Amino acid sequence: MTASKLTVRPTAPAAAGSGRMAELALVERVRRGELGAFEELYRTHAGRLYSLACRMLGNPADAEDLLQEIFLAAHRKLDGFRGDAALGTWLYRLATNQILDHLRSRAARAGQLTDALDDTGTIADTASGRLGDRAVTKLDLERALAQLPEGCRAAFLLHDVEGLEHQEVAHVLGIAEGTSKSQVHKARLRLRALLTRGSSA
Amino acid sequence: MPCARYITSLQELADGTIGSIRRAEVEQHLETCEDCRAALADLEKIRDAAASLDELQPPERVWLQIAGRLRQEGRIQEAAAPAPPRRYLHAFALAAALVIAIGGSLLFIASRNRQVPATAPATATATPPTGVPDAAEVQAAATAVEEAQQKLEAAIGRLQQVADASLQAMDPKTAATLQKNIGIIDQAIAEERAAVKAEPMNVPARESLFEALKRKVVLLQDTIALMNEMRKGNPSGAAEIVGGKG
Repeated sequence: MTASKLTVRPTAPAAAGSGRMAELALVERVRRGELGAFEELYRTHAGRLYSLACRMLGNPADAEDLLQEIFLAAHRKLDGFRGDAALGTWLYRLATNQILDHLRSRAARAGQLTDALDDTGTIADTASGRLGDRAVTKLDLERALAQLPEGCRAAFLLHDVEGLEHQEVAHVLGIAEGTSKSQVHKARLRLRALLTRGSSA
Repeated sequence: MPCARYITSLQELADGTIGSIRRAEVEQHLETCEDCRAALADLEKIRDAAASLDELQPPERVWLQIAGRLRQEGRIQEAAAPAPPRRYLHAFALAAALVIAIGGSLLFIASRNRQVPATAPATATATPPTGVPDAAEVQAAATAVEEAQQKLEAAIGRLQQVADASLQAMDPKTAATLQKNIGIIDQAIAEERAAVKAEPMNVPARESLFEALKRKVVLLQDTIALMNEMRKGNPSGAAEIVGGKG
């Protein structure tokens, strides 16, 4: 499965031209075997990809291992990078595919493949109180996110945190656009229930 | 609980993707339904918090491991010096990653130990609040340090093999000096290891052993670097390395 037109966080048009040239020059240095060039590429993109992996997998140790595999795969595949997409988008696509493969194999091992990425479920477990005046801190949200089922967590992260459109989320996850919407909606209601429970505890 | 028939509309309203006709209907409903107003406010809070989540930074060891693997697989063009054998470059990268990992864990144990009062009462709560010591956590970190230390020692073993080969190729006087320094560090490592064995949870003892292992990594690296300088026919570079070790 390959996402063909991710448009997240586009580069400003004025900077795009020179930025693209700089990217191609950097890629060329990596192809020549310059470790410093690859380190530059790593330092620019590792934070974003690590954040995504960490939150998607719910486990920093797995995210570290996967980040390593993502960048080693990127190094191997850079020969095929033609600059059609921005380097960040190309890497992001590679990373999401690897993260999803990892999730699928983990779900398969646990015998829950069907539920993992196409879980439509019910919203009965989302009945909740209200947050009222209580603020939702980043830490609260990170903790609640880790408790979401993988399917709706992936859709929520891609849509609400990463800023992808539902069409793009659907394409990346290999699900219908309507499923993406319902997964994101369900995730928010579950988060509300989790956050409310947290505040009443 | 918001009204079931408006749940999707509330989400679309929070997203700003709702159509104008539907929007008018929902807004009218919101005027009279407190549950739906509360749900909309909560959904907006969650959406805003999600959009403001910070970027997380991976630990430095991830890059060190990537660089080590790239070198090991021969995918890096080493610039100045002739490329040294891959097997000990990997050992360098592994040793460096482990030095950082062990250092971090020691700091963790040390900071935890400082917070543990000698007579800390057992706590009945399932999840201790932040900052309160947790014996299981400290034990887990100690185990991690021990495992990392074993790997570091294995990496040192591989470096030692390369260094031994380098020593054989050197002039006997220089080799003897280096061998003597390695012997002194080995003696220190043996003493520190005995201290750790006697008191596995003693943080200063572990720190000393770790320091001794670190000194050995540096010395082995220098031995190999020295050999490279001599191969390149650069006696002054070699002298500088030996002098720096004095």
